Amino acid sequence: MTVKLTFVAHDGGEHEVSADVGQSVMEAALSNGVEGITAECNGSAACATCHAIFDEALLVHMPEITEHENDMLDFAATERVAGSRLSCQIPVTDAFNGARIMLPEEQ
Amino acid sequence: MHSLVPTMDDIGFEELMNDPYPSFDRIRKEASAVWVSSARINLVTRFDDIMHIERNHADFASTNPGSLMNKIMGHSLMRKDDEEHQVERKAVETAFRPGVVKQYWAPRLEAISDRLIAGFEKDGETDLFNAFAAPMAAYGLTELLGFKSDVAWQDMCDWSQSLMDAVGNYTADPAIEARGHAAAASIATEIDRAMPEHRATENPSVLSSMAHAESLHSIDQIRANVNVIVGGGLNEPRDSILTTVMALLSNPDQLAQVRENRKLFAKAFEEAVRWVAPIGMYPRRVTRDVVLGDTQLKEGDQIGLCVGAANRDPSRFENAHAFDINRPRQGHLGFGAGPHFCAGTWVARQMVGEIAVPMLFDRLKNLRLHDSKPVTERGWVFRGPTSLPVQWDV
Repeated sequence: MTVKLTFVAHDGGEHEVSADVGQSVMEAALSNGVEGITAECNGSAACATCHAIFDEALLVHMPEITEHENDMLDFAATERVAGSRLSCQIPVTDAFNGARIMLPEEQ
Repeated sequence: MHSLVPTMDDIGFEELMNDPYPSFDRIRKEASAVWVSSARINLVTRFDDIMHIERNHADFASTNPGSLMNKIMGHSLMRKDDEEHQVERKAVETAFRPGVVKQYWAPRLEAISDRLIAGFEKDGETDLFNAFAAPMAAYGLTELLGFKSDVAWQDMCDWSQSLMDAVGNYTADPAIEARGHAAAASIATEIDRAMPEHRATENPSVLSSMAHAESLHSIDQIRANVNVIVGGGLNEPRDSILTTVMALLSNPDQLAQVRENRKLFAKAFEEAVRWVAPIGMYPRRVTRDVVLGDTQLKEGDQIGLCVGAANRDPSRFENAHAFDINRPRQGHLGFGAGPHFCAGTWVARQMVGEIAVPMLFDRLKNLRLHDSKPVTERGWVFRGPTSLPVQWDV
């Protein structure tokens, strides 16, 4: 099962990818060569370089933020906003089909 | 068709120890993996190859049944993968979280730095290796671990060095092995001395995090993981302090910029870790016949990931051999990558880039390299200045 995601770069450039349900949003970005997701620690929530900003309507379809992820986000290179998450912690589900995911200026 | 791993016989071990970068350049040009006879391991030097390896732990494992590290330190999280690694990693990372670092550890690290500088600031000259960087790293680690505060910094340095020597003891020298075991025994004693307090009262230290971890840790797990933190957590902050200071003192224009805008100290630290990665190489084991870039690897091959070389890969970094705080922000491999990404990254950023280095430049007026004593640097698996003589106005 796959869904379509659109990553929107800080400069407005769009990159539509097809993502497998179950993989993380970070993995979907990396495996499709999306610029703007670095993911130095490859999903351990240790580096804060896969910061992405999600539409608030999607937040109910995501696992609750852990204290650890929350803390990391405070130190992301681009200041967090409402909807900011570490994309490595967000599994793709059916609800993500057609989602637009904003990328911050810096990782 | 992918070729077999080529061999290079003409890279001397002393050459690697003195200055590995010319050899790294040659190896990187040659192939994705090269057997370097003097190092006795297949070296991987290209940025993209190392990223690929760190994202494919099924093919390139950290576990290694015959590892000297397991024999000396016990089976730590650094030689585990997947679930087993994750539960133990989780127990240490609470202590190293950026928010905890900023709120809890930063004032403590500031106090250490202040005390050390006060000890020599009227002298006008010193060698920053022993006067500052080594005790800064050692006292910092003592606090972070939650050891008793009466542990001598020289003992921490000695245990750390003995463990690392024993882990790299490929000639099986019995004296080196014995020193490694003795260091592990001393560390075990320190754990026993400090642990009752941490079991009784929860606090942000590593020992407390382990004592109160969700998954119950055996004493062997605690000992092995503390050994790894002592063995691997001392030379990196020490060496990155020294490299950052050396690089700024050698590049007056960049130093002027940093003095003008203090936020750039953090950038100087990050660039120093890219430029001279304190851990220049670490091993992985190939789990099945697999192609890496342009070479064919075989099951059981030992490969050494030279992040020190990848951090100077010209396909990733322009003018890669230069220290340049103004280069565009670009992820490097100084903290590794993947699940074993350095757990101490955030505390290192704080200790070195926000506290120790800025405080040195603030307190020591007109700090400069010594006019007659040379800076020395050494190493390739671990690399950094071994002496940094400096002078300032008093």
